[in-house]
Amino acid sequence: MDKTINKSIKTTNSKPITPNAKNPRKTLSLQKQKAKMGWLFIAPFLIGFAIIYLPMIFESIRFSFNKIEIQGGGGYILNGVGWENYSNALFKDTQYVPTLLGSIKDLFLSIPAIIIFSLFIAVLLNQKMKGRAVFRAIFFIPVIVSTGIIERIDLMNSLAQIMGEASNAAAEGMETTTTGTEIISIMDIENLFRGMRVGTGLVEYVVEMANNVYDIINKSGVQMLIFLAGLQSISPAIYESCYIDGASPWETFWKITFPMISPMILVNSVYTIIDSFTSESNQVMTYIHNVYNKPGGNVQATAMSWMYFLVVIIILAIIGGIMSAYVFYQKRDT
Amino acid sequence: MDKTVSNRKAEKELLKQRKREEAIRLIRTQEKTPFWMRMKYKYLTAYYAKQAIFKIFRLLLLIGISFVILFPYYSKIAGSFMSRDDFVDVSVKLIAKYPTLDTYKAIINDNKYFLALFNTTLLSLLCGVSQMLTCAVVGYGFAKFKFKFKGLLFMLVILTMIIPRDTLQLSLFMKMRYFDIWGIVGFIKKYIFGSSEATPAIANLLNSFWPLAILSLTGLAFKNGLFIYIMRQYFNGVPDELEEAAYVDGAGVLKTFVRIILPMSVPMLVTIFMFSFSWQWSDSFYTGLFFTNKTDFVLLPDIVSIPVSLDTNYAAKEAYEAAIRNTCGLMILAPLVVLYLFGQRTLIEGVERSGITG
Repeated sequence: MDKTINKSIKTTNSKPITPNAKNPRKTLSLQKQKAKMGWLFIAPFLIGFAIIYLPMIFESIRFSFNKIEIQGGGGYILNGVGWENYSNALFKDTQYVPTLLGSIKDLFLSIPAIIIFSLFIAVLLNQKMKGRAVFRAIFFIPVIVSTGIIERIDLMNSLAQIMGEASNAAAEGMETTTTGTEIISIMDIENLFRGMRVGTGLVEYVVEMANNVYDIINKSGVQMLIFLAGLQSISPAIYESCYIDGASPWETFWKITFPMISPMILVNSVYTIIDSFTSESNQVMTYIHNVYNKPGGNVQATAMSWMYFLVVIIILAIIGGIMSAYVFYQKRDT
Repeated sequence: MDKTVSNRKAEKELLKQRKREEAIRLIRTQEKTPFWMRMKYKYLTAYYAKQAIFKIFRLLLLIGISFVILFPYYSKIAGSFMSRDDFVDVSVKLIAKYPTLDTYKAIINDNKYFLALFNTTLLSLLCGVSQMLTCAVVGYGFAKFKFKFKGLLFMLVILTMIIPRDTLQLSLFMKMRYFDIWGIVGFIKKYIFGSSEATPAIANLLNSFWPLAILSLTGLAFKNGLFIYIMRQYFNGVPDELEEAAYVDGAGVLKTFVRIILPMSVPMLVTIFMFSFSWQWSDSFYTGLFFTNKTDFVLLPDIVSIPVSLDTNYAAKEAYEAAIRNTCGLMILAPLVVLYLFGQRTLIEGVERSGITG
């Protein structure tokens, strides 16, 4: 009888109703509980990653070292060929390496244009004015609408155009890619920049960018959104104190907005690289896609895209490394 | 002489002074000031001129860029109403001389538009909702809890974002064609039950909603890494005190999440939903990979073709066919545009509130 009472007292003692602050074990278990809940919350991703993504990566790497044979009765057989797929892509395929280099060059040219354009537009759209909502709605249409389908149709159309001998006069203006040239005359820009004597390299660059203005606008939708979010997070008090101190808008932009938005520039550069490297309109992607659809080309395409991925990672690391040295963080602990 | 000049000057000054005082008095007493006076004191200043020039410049720029964005759609819409004769006529540029709805009718009848619309809506809704919920849950997990290997695991999320989906398309196809978990079921089938198949698996998931549903529910579908990142940044900005208050009131972690956090973050959820919905809507990569049987299961991106009932063998064949294809594209995008018009306010609000920093 005594024993049971003692026992019950012991149990009640060991589990106090109010949490004991002096007892470190209790807080630890609470933390552990929360950690457990954290694991529960990210479980969907983890399970998916472990069951689908990780095996897929391994399989994909394995496929790239093999030749695949699809069996009639359902199933496939792998024949190991070592590095053949890779060496084929690098040394026998005459188009792969030039396409890769070309797209990297294009990327380096288009990143500054996209970043500058989207930052500029975000700053404009962040100001208070009449009709801001309308302009915002128009500027974000490309984010929602142009997700490859228009590009694909344009590609089809231009292919059909090349195949047909006579390009018709009525067909002009029907294509999105020519609108940029129609609106901004190349000659005008060239003349303008010739007059400014800034060197042919820059002239060519600006002319090319002006020609691709439609592409740039289409590609900078998400970047604009990210910049807008960043601009919104800058405290108005900073601007106010700047204004009181007599800074001009130009100074305010370079001394306040630009440093505060610089983390966003890093994020956007990384996003632009990823986006343009993985978009369907990318030349390398189109090329890999074509190779994939050739008979027996699927393993070849896999090998090619792994090499491509490596290149992307290296470029990301270089650009991220360089830019993060110059990024300004208001508070380092978040 | 001098005196008179200075007198005149002084008189003028005095007159000006009086006028100004009069104006100020009139304004003070809320009487109607003369129109020109009002205009003068309000608009004829350097400050105002600067502002006006800047505003006009900005407006022109924005209108110009809006034009660049909208013009292709306008020209496509214009082309969709043109009949066959319009493409031969050189004088017709944007406005059809013989407007017709034949193109629309032909696409709706021949290309099974409504069937494709129904299928795509179903698929996109499924993917949009599941991606939205999954990304919110995973993002919350990454933002608000401390556990081991969190940084490393988040690197995995970034990894799924960086690897191009084309890299994995072959193995993705194989995975869904011979669906299995680490080959365990296949192993059991082969060596214990003696299955005769070369690669035994649980099921063939092609030509069903399962592959996309699985990818969406596990946060591995198109750009889900980005969504998880955005959600994590957003939840990082939600103050902890909110949850602590809920815990004090006796709610568990799950209840807090469902009852407090989710209703609070509706704009963000709408943003994620709009992105995933519209990207799934016009996606042809995954649907092309998983739906190999195009005749039975029509999706919207597949309807881009020349309808049989339209006779395009004519003088301006390319232009006409291009216009028909563009019309297909327009009809694919039309429901999205309607959705966007309804959701854009919430979308932009959601992005503004996201508080993405670094």
